[in-house]
Amino acid sequence: MRQLQLFRTLILRPLRRDLLRTALTIISVALGVGVVIAIDLAGDAATGSFRSSLETLVGKTDLEIVANGGVDERWMAALTALPVNARFAPVIEMQGVLKPAGSVTVYGVDFVSQGPEARAATPLARDPNSAIVVSSGLAQRLGLKEGDHLPLTLSDRTQNFEVAGIADAKDAEFILLDIAEAQRALNQYGRLDRIDVFVSPHEDFSRVEREVRVTLPASYRLEKPGTRGEENQRMLRAFRWNLRVLSYISLVVGAFLIYNTISVSVVRRRAEIGVLRAVGASRRWVLRLFLGEALLFGLAGSLAGIAFGRVMAEGAVGLVAETVNSLYVSSRPAAVALDPSAVAAAIAAGVAVALFSALAPAREAMHVAPVEAMGRGAHEHHSRTHARRNLFWAALAAIIAVALSQARPIDDKPIAGYAATLLAVVAMALAAPAVVTGLAAGTRGASRALFGPEGLLAVRGLAASLARTSVVVGALATAIAMMASVGIMVGSFRETVIVWLDTQLRADLYVRPAAHAGAGEHPALSAEVPGLVSAIPGVESVDIFHALEFEYEGRRATLGAGNADIVRRYGRLRFLPGEDRDAILRSLAGRNRVIVSEPFANKHSVRVNDVLNLPLGDRLVKVTVAGIYFDYSSERGFVIFDRSTLLKYLPHLPATNLAVYVRPGADPASVRHAVEARLANYRVTVAPNRALRQNAVTIFDRTFAITYALEGVAIAVAMLGAANSLLAMVLDRRREFGLLRYLGAAPAQLRRMILLEAGFLGIAANLLGLALGFVLSLVLIYVINKQSFGWTIQFHPPFLLLAGASTLVWLTTVLAGIYPARAAARLNPIEVIHEE
Amino acid sequence: MNPPRLELRRASKTYQTNGQKLEALRDVSLVLEPGTITALVGRSGCGKTTLLNLAGAMDFPTSGEVLIDGRDTSSLREDELTALRRTRIGFVFQFFQLLPALSVLENVELPLLLAGSQKAREAARNRLEWVGLVDKVNSFPYQLSGGQMQRVAIARALAHSPEILIADEPTGNLDNASGEQVLALLSDAAGRFGATVLVATHSAEAAAIAHTRVQLRDGRIAAFERA
Repeated sequence: MRQLQLFRTLILRPLRRDLLRTALTIISVALGVGVVIAIDLAGDAATGSFRSSLETLVGKTDLEIVANGGVDERWMAALTALPVNARFAPVIEMQGVLKPAGSVTVYGVDFVSQGPEARAATPLARDPNSAIVVSSGLAQRLGLKEGDHLPLTLSDRTQNFEVAGIADAKDAEFILLDIAEAQRALNQYGRLDRIDVFVSPHEDFSRVEREVRVTLPASYRLEKPGTRGEENQRMLRAFRWNLRVLSYISLVVGAFLIYNTISVSVVRRRAEIGVLRAVGASRRWVLRLFLGEALLFGLAGSLAGIAFGRVMAEGAVGLVAETVNSLYVSSRPAAVALDPSAVAAAIAAGVAVALFSALAPAREAMHVAPVEAMGRGAHEHHSRTHARRNLFWAALAAIIAVALSQARPIDDKPIAGYAATLLAVVAMALAAPAVVTGLAAGTRGASRALFGPEGLLAVRGLAASLARTSVVVGALATAIAMMASVGIMVGSFRETVIVWLDTQLRADLYVRPAAHAGAGEHPALSAEVPGLVSAIPGVESVDIFHALEFEYEGRRATLGAGNADIVRRYGRLRFLPGEDRDAILRSLAGRNRVIVSEPFANKHSVRVNDVLNLPLGDRLVKVTVAGIYFDYSSERGFVIFDRSTLLKYLPHLPATNLAVYVRPGADPASVRHAVEARLANYRVTVAPNRALRQNAVTIFDRTFAITYALEGVAIAVAMLGAANSLLAMVLDRRREFGLLRYLGAAPAQLRRMILLEAGFLGIAANLLGLALGFVLSLVLIYVINKQSFGWTIQFHPPFLLLAGASTLVWLTTVLAGIYPARAAARLNPIEVIHEE
Repeated sequence: MNPPRLELRRASKTYQTNGQKLEALRDVSLVLEPGTITALVGRSGCGKTTLLNLAGAMDFPTSGEVLIDGRDTSSLREDELTALRRTRIGFVFQFFQLLPALSVLENVELPLLLAGSQKAREAARNRLEWVGLVDKVNSFPYQLSGGQMQRVAIARALAHSPEILIADEPTGNLDNASGEQVLALLSDAAGRFGATVLVATHSAEAAAIAHTRVQLRDGRIAAFERA
């Protein structure tokens, strides 16, 4: 009780008095916690909807039969003949485009074999080729009723369907279609995406599993439901992990600020602590007092952060979903849901960071001796003498960071890489006092010559309050370093992708079905389309490309096939150093040889001349890796055959894309018009080379939009910190400002002095931040990115962007000094000089 | 005839604290001439510091006038007051008030730098020579003794050769030997530089060097004594 009363007097009262600073600190924590929550919630929402919405209608599936290249529907007969009490339902799953609703999941099902709910909606009376059943969720959103007609685009055709029934699934949006019609639309006659198995509760589950297993070829997989979802989540793990780490930056920056706030609190109350110690307060009690203050910031900031994060998540979910869709797997964002565990985790994160960052200043408070509790100079001198010792620790941290950056990933995660990053930040923070002192000493003459006494006082003032200055510089430098490193990484990646697009996209026109084509979605072209395009005058060659999702060693990848000879003649596909492009491409046709993309090779530790066992259709095929090529289009990775080889194993595989090369001398625009005219009856997009490249760059930029947003928040937190700290500095040095007024300083001179200090602070932070950012970008590019995604990125720092961004940050730092500067100029010199 | 350098005419100062009136100074009239030392003596809270602030144009009377060379300080604009402090007034404080981040030389040249003087360094060196601390130019305040710090503070107060030197308990925080050195410097400031020195003190030694002693009691002049 007595402690609580003292806590109120010593901690709460000053916090109330400095309301602005208190609010700034809480907002910093709230922003940090908010970003972490937002990214977590948005990540969950954007990736959490892999469960088949069909389940809402037909109930939970017990097993799923899947195969690379699709399941041959002839196995249905063998399965239904099995002496087991189980039901087998063929399914085709695809994305269709519905004019008013956009992309929607379409299931091709055999109505007769489905459960009773689906049977209730069976459109028996109508023509099965044009009848669909719509889920009640979708029907309600679009205002559909039985008998309505809908234009639905599947692959490269749009057809009018009649709503024959509404299926009772309020929380799901999907369309059911007759399976034969789905096969026709996908151009995959005789093949199914999967067979769902429903085992009777009275049947021995493992017996069914055994019977099915021995019936089907070895290349077929029997999966438990949810495997796909789990696998998707696993595939997204690296992506979400990296995003999550990025979201912690703001919290790290916030940690600096809490450290700063508690340090200020301790420095200001040294005399009071001394008195308390003199009248019998124990060291532990003093420690608890200041940890209590940090706890207060942590709690208040976390609670505000939860509300803030919930709001930000709504904005972030779209950005995250877009990346997931374009790089990983098609999914529809679910609603953002704030569950109690997320709330608890957020509070725990905020409080833990607050307590951890307050530990050092609180321990310092604990060691204040009653006699030492006078004056500020002694403490500042203390921290100055430690600058050299800290430099030693900084060097040590840097050496360990370099060693860690060489370590291999742990559980597919670049944990050592992240530890190296964190240690580099620690090294920078430890080096900050020495850098500030060095800079102050180095620029004293110039600053005095340029800015007169205000310059001298600003530089000296900052160096004198070194302990505080270096923390603010550390916080700002961390935010700048993150901005610079991620900026360099993304800039380098962008440049690498642009160069790669130039080597990859050599055809004049690209043709693909207009239906939704996210990662893992490969809508088919009608069988006759390649022939129609080849026959157009002006077309020299058509590379027919087949793509399908497949699974290798438990991971999803893309299996592709094109004409290796065309790629050799026209393309500039780049292989890893030392590999002969021509020889590799020549070696593919008609042989069990493939090329694999760099991410695939890295994920599966594949090297040239390795033999892969690929399950293709009903068979297991041994193929030799002829070469590894650079690819940045998908993190899933590619295995590419010459189409003559792949079609031998999957003869019904439809074409998914065409690369059209125009004859020399022919006008590409005219040829494009001719192609469009010839394919007028098909729903295809015909994109000229330039448009495709631009589109790729646009997707790239959108993918990294969230990264920039996260950096923006980190910078904002650092800015709040700069304002907070400058304000604290003004309050602490008010005696000095009062004295300067006695000595003849005009209010304008005081303002100038504070703004110069802010400017100097910004320069020191920029120098340290850019240097650290450069180092971190190397870790990001060559360690973290390589271990997480398997891409080789060429180093291309975007100097102009970095210069612009750091100037902006510097200007904002100066702006953050305006209010403190005004506060300094408004102080009453008589009051402050006679406080003692 | 020239007006007196510093004159208080029936100056009173009232503060409002928590709705209560506090009369710190009542009806004080005083004339101070160049080259003289005036000591303000009296108990704590008798109004010495308030009088110093009025005389140094840091504060203004609630009624009455404070005139510097015949000009009422209340009528001066903010920039004129700043100019006044830069050129004509110097302050010495009980707790020295040196800036810990600046060296001894930089502390002394500070008023000159703030005023935009071109010969700040030279003038500051001269003053440090005068107070006998020229060998400490590159030292920092925390490296000096209390007496040395107060000598630096006096050098700073006189760096710009002000006509009025205001000193608030200049020996209050010093031992006897240091106090004597400081008092000698104040005498020298009046005698050698012709400064009008107004010093608030509790010390009999400090009061002894003054040409005029003014005893304050409850904000009023209780006794006036010329040496």
